[in-house]
Amino acid sequence: MTSVPSKLYSDDVSLVVVLLDTNPFFWTASSSLPFSQFLSHVMAFVNSILLLNQLNQVVVIASGYNTCDYIYDSSSDASQLGLENGKMPSLYSNLLQKLEDFMIKDEKLGKEQSQRAIKSSLLSGSMSMALCYIQRVFRSGPFHPQPRILCLQGSPDGPEQYVAVMNAIFSAQRSMVPIDSCYVGAHNSAFLQQASYITGGVYVKPQHLDGLFQYLTTVFATDLHSRSFIQLPRPAGVDFRASCFCHKTTIDMGYICSVCLSIFCNHHKKCSTCGSVFGQAQSDTSSASDLKRKAPET
Amino acid sequence: MANNIAEKRRQQEEDDDEEDGDLDGWGERNYADERSWEALQEDESGLLRPLDNKAMYHAQYRRRLRSLSTASNSQRIQKGLIRFLYIVLDLSRAASVMDFRPSRMAVVAKNVEAFIREFFDQNPLSQIALVIIKDGVAYSLTDLGGSPESHVKALMAKLECSGDSSLQNALELVHEYLDQIPSYGNREVLILYSALTTCDPGDIMETIQKCKKSKMRCSVIGLSAEMFICKHLCQETGGLYSVALDESHFKELIMEHAPPPPAIAEFAIANLIKMGFPQRAAEGSISICSCHKECKVGEGYICPRCKARVCELPTECRICGLTLVSSPHLARSYHHLFPITPFDEVTPSRQIEPHRRSQKTCFGCQQGLVNPGNKPSLHVACPKCKQYFCLDCDIYIHESLHNCPGCESLRAS
Amino acid sequence: MPQVRIIAKNFMDMVASLPAMKLDSLYQNAYICEAILRSLPPLAKKYVVQILFFDGPVSGKLLEQWVLDDGVTKHRVAIDRLIQLRIFIEVTDKKRESSYKLNQTFQANLQKHLTNGGVLPRETMAATVKLPSSEDLDTYALEQWECFLLLLISSGQAEKPTSLSSSMMKIFQRGLLSQRDRDAPRLTEGGFQFLLMDTNAQLWYIIREYISNSEERGTDPADLISFLLELSFHVTGEAYNINTLTEIQRNTIKDLAELGLVKLQQGRKESWFIPTKLATNLSVSLTDSSSRKQGYVVVETNFRLYAYSTSKLHCEILRLFSKIEYQLPNLIVGAITKESLYSAFENGITSDQIISFLQQNAHPRVAERLPSVPENVTDQIRLWEADLNRVEITPAHLYDEFPSKDTFEAACDYAREWNGLLWEDSKKMRVVVKAEIHMNMREFLRGQK
Repeated sequence: MTSVPSKLYSDDVSLVVVLLDTNPFFWTASSSLPFSQFLSHVMAFVNSILLLNQLNQVVVIASGYNTCDYIYDSSSDASQLGLENGKMPSLYSNLLQKLEDFMIKDEKLGKEQSQRAIKSSLLSGSMSMALCYIQRVFRSGPFHPQPRILCLQGSPDGPEQYVAVMNAIFSAQRSMVPIDSCYVGAHNSAFLQQASYITGGVYVKPQHLDGLFQYLTTVFATDLHSRSFIQLPRPAGVDFRASCFCHKTTIDMGYICSVCLSIFCNHHKKCSTCGSVFGQAQSDTSSASDLKRKAPET
Repeated sequence: MANNIAEKRRQQEEDDDEEDGDLDGWGERNYADERSWEALQEDESGLLRPLDNKAMYHAQYRRRLRSLSTASNSQRIQKGLIRFLYIVLDLSRAASVMDFRPSRMAVVAKNVEAFIREFFDQNPLSQIALVIIKDGVAYSLTDLGGSPESHVKALMAKLECSGDSSLQNALELVHEYLDQIPSYGNREVLILYSALTTCDPGDIMETIQKCKKSKMRCSVIGLSAEMFICKHLCQETGGLYSVALDESHFKELIMEHAPPPPAIAEFAIANLIKMGFPQRAAEGSISICSCHKECKVGEGYICPRCKARVCELPTECRICGLTLVSSPHLARSYHHLFPITPFDEVTPSRQIEPHRRSQKTCFGCQQGLVNPGNKPSLHVACPKCKQYFCLDCDIYIHESLHNCPGCESLRAS
Repeated sequence: MPQVRIIAKNFMDMVASLPAMKLDSLYQNAYICEAILRSLPPLAKKYVVQILFFDGPVSGKLLEQWVLDDGVTKHRVAIDRLIQLRIFIEVTDKKRESSYKLNQTFQANLQKHLTNGGVLPRETMAATVKLPSSEDLDTYALEQWECFLLLLISSGQAEKPTSLSSSMMKIFQRGLLSQRDRDAPRLTEGGFQFLLMDTNAQLWYIIREYISNSEERGTDPADLISFLLELSFHVTGEAYNINTLTEIQRNTIKDLAELGLVKLQQGRKESWFIPTKLATNLSVSLTDSSSRKQGYVVVETNFRLYAYSTSKLHCEILRLFSKIEYQLPNLIVGAITKESLYSAFENGITSDQIISFLQQNAHPRVAERLPSVPENVTDQIRLWEADLNRVEITPAHLYDEFPSKDTFEAACDYAREWNGLLWEDSKKMRVVVKAEIHMNMREFLRGQK
């Protein structure tokens, strides 16, 4: 995979879009790091970003189980208003209030849903929203902060989101927006490893979760300008092999349908995704209606 | 046609900003060529106002999008994803004419370079080759290959024009090469024609029939005027014929060929193509790579069949001929197979729907959708998830992101 | 108390040159810590934030490991800066290896800030009179600042007098204006350069002068510095009660109002001040980073200048080096001519200053183009400057009609000995020598006969 060409940044003003995983299925099961502690690490981290430069901006988007939404934007007027009884500064009260509202909404939306095997969060949705916001920043004029995305994720990857996540990753690569990932779940996330590798970001799975804040400030608070001369964790070999559609095993060599690009490990007579019969010219309507947005696992 | 010209001129203003500063002696043209006086309109009270470029740009964009998608959605035509494209450049005398600054040849070369990069970005499994027409003879500049750098380097090294142009010789040469490629591939030719004449040794109509029989899709972009023979060629083979009005229009026309064209049913033969997914070589392993024939350490990929080392993907293993790709390459083409539906414009009557009245900001970028004075500005909505988006997000989502944030933020049951 | 000497060019250097105890007392204010942190080079900021929650000292070797080879010089610069500002305290152990520890107060303050968020020393109050909108506030600030600048350069264009004492103005004008006995004060070279600087740099210059004279007026410079830095963290457009200020701070606020940093308003019972953007942007410009202001000048290839501005100050500045042709309600039209440039050069402005002024203030529509100022204009400005240096004038005398070749040769040698030979023509036997040795030459030639 060719590496991302690096833009030359002249100063350290950054815009960090934080994608916060609030998936209740993950957090209730997470024993090593309770959600409240996680939040306190994240808030201190957000504060440190805003501290480093007056013009820095932080936007927080929550990815829930049933929906995604914007939680906090440091540049909006509401966040700069005065104190509430002088006790807690507005950063905290606004953010926490909106987060609470979001989680209630998320739960309400989930009442009718069916059970799924893998309880993943809607990473593709929040990534897409983050990229739209970043495009808006690019349009805002010649002086804008350098944007990057930070995914704080714990939930496992949802294979049904594969195509959407890859689309988001390629779009980020084209706009030269690095995607950093800090994964606090059990096993490595292939989506986030690929995302960070392709876009030129950093992927870290912290070993000691009670020191999360230290990982965040040491690695993820580094602005893009400084990354050229600071040691950062390097990607340790991302596995880009594909898995076949029939058995979901990783394969070295396989067969690709030339019409719909599905991957098979053995020679078949007919493609199971698009229905094309191999070796013959196709007719349109019957084959195309079988096209579904299936996702190969990697 | 006249309306198109006027519209194109207005759109040129947006495109002007994209011109680089490398048109040296023509730096003043970049400056003075804004023609902002043409973009004025009289409003109700007789005052002059600049044209609302944004809404017009958006309207044109949506027309284009609609024409592309209705064709594919209603008839569900599949797209040819594995393309073998020959780019034919006319470097005859006519290419040195300076009506495109600094010369037709320079403009063509610059845009072909940008096109090659865009092409490989959108079609990672495809291959390109370059053919040049000079002095009445066509010869091949580069062979079919998947690496943009080698094509661009070869092109920039050989930019001289002379002699006559010969359409038939070019078609014969390309036909010879394209006959050899496997049947699952989409055979395409893109001819960038500057001349107004063609000097052919034989009957060009026969050649055209030959191309048609071999299922080669020939498209032409003319730089001077419309020619019957080019139009006939494109009609017979099912390609696109267009004539460029100026530099920015040319760029637009050539970029239209970057996304995969709808594959014509009789042409596409589905095949299972054997491909390899190489793993990365171990850190610190020393081997001789098969592409450069140099000794390299670490970083590289090992072909799963013959264990030869290659430097980058996608490529064809030089030793055993296996196509080597990685899963992101395949993923890059998925959005062509699963396009998102175009958004609908939100008319004023829809805006007073009660449950929608509360949405005052674009769902994607949080930009306000209300103009000062509480008048709603132009915005669109996704037909599936019913969320509102602003015009800029609409363009970004359909051209680059290919995901609707609203649909992705809904847990599909 | 040792005097604070202003030798440094930069405000942060001034802070760094404060004595150790003063600096430590400064750090007790959390907002000062924040402002100073923001003024550090990026690598230094990273180091501070990274070891913020460490308990003991961190070895220098460990810090070096965090940087790649490319960044070794940056690393040294950062460490030096941190030590200079007494944020890092160097600890050498028995093995002669150095490790660094954070200043206790600094560390404690920042830790609190990160975990609890910042709390301002004063709260906003509900004003009884309607507060000005942000546009009004910006116009007010701009007006005040420009009025002040116009007064500073003693231009007749200033509309209203200032309440700053004339001695204060004299202090500011020191270095910028020179006054001969009866003539009107003229701008010095430094004055011209001052005008061509951007607003933040000018603001800091004035503030530095203000602070450096604070002892003469009986106020402690450290207090002033801390008050100013604190001011930059207030919210633009919100009202703060004047009663929360000390006596000294109240006086300072009045002066700052003249400069346009705050707006004073009075209600029925209370009076308050409203910080403007100029005040809250103070901490942004602590270092020498370029300003992010929008430009207003368009220079065309035919040497015409269009400035989309209503300000008299801009007009004055442009008048320094160009010929202003018309002034429309929102547009100033001028042309860069040879004469206007010559007068600028005579005043000590260099072509580089003019070109960088034009580039930095380029209107957004042309700012993205490369080059933002057309090359033929910049080349011509430089050529005209070089023109002035092209001809060197030396007073001299011409000798001709020598009686014989020998006398001619002797005269030439004599002139050469005295280093006064400028030109000779042996065919026509003419010689040009410097005027200084003219008398001696005459003696010599008389002696020859």
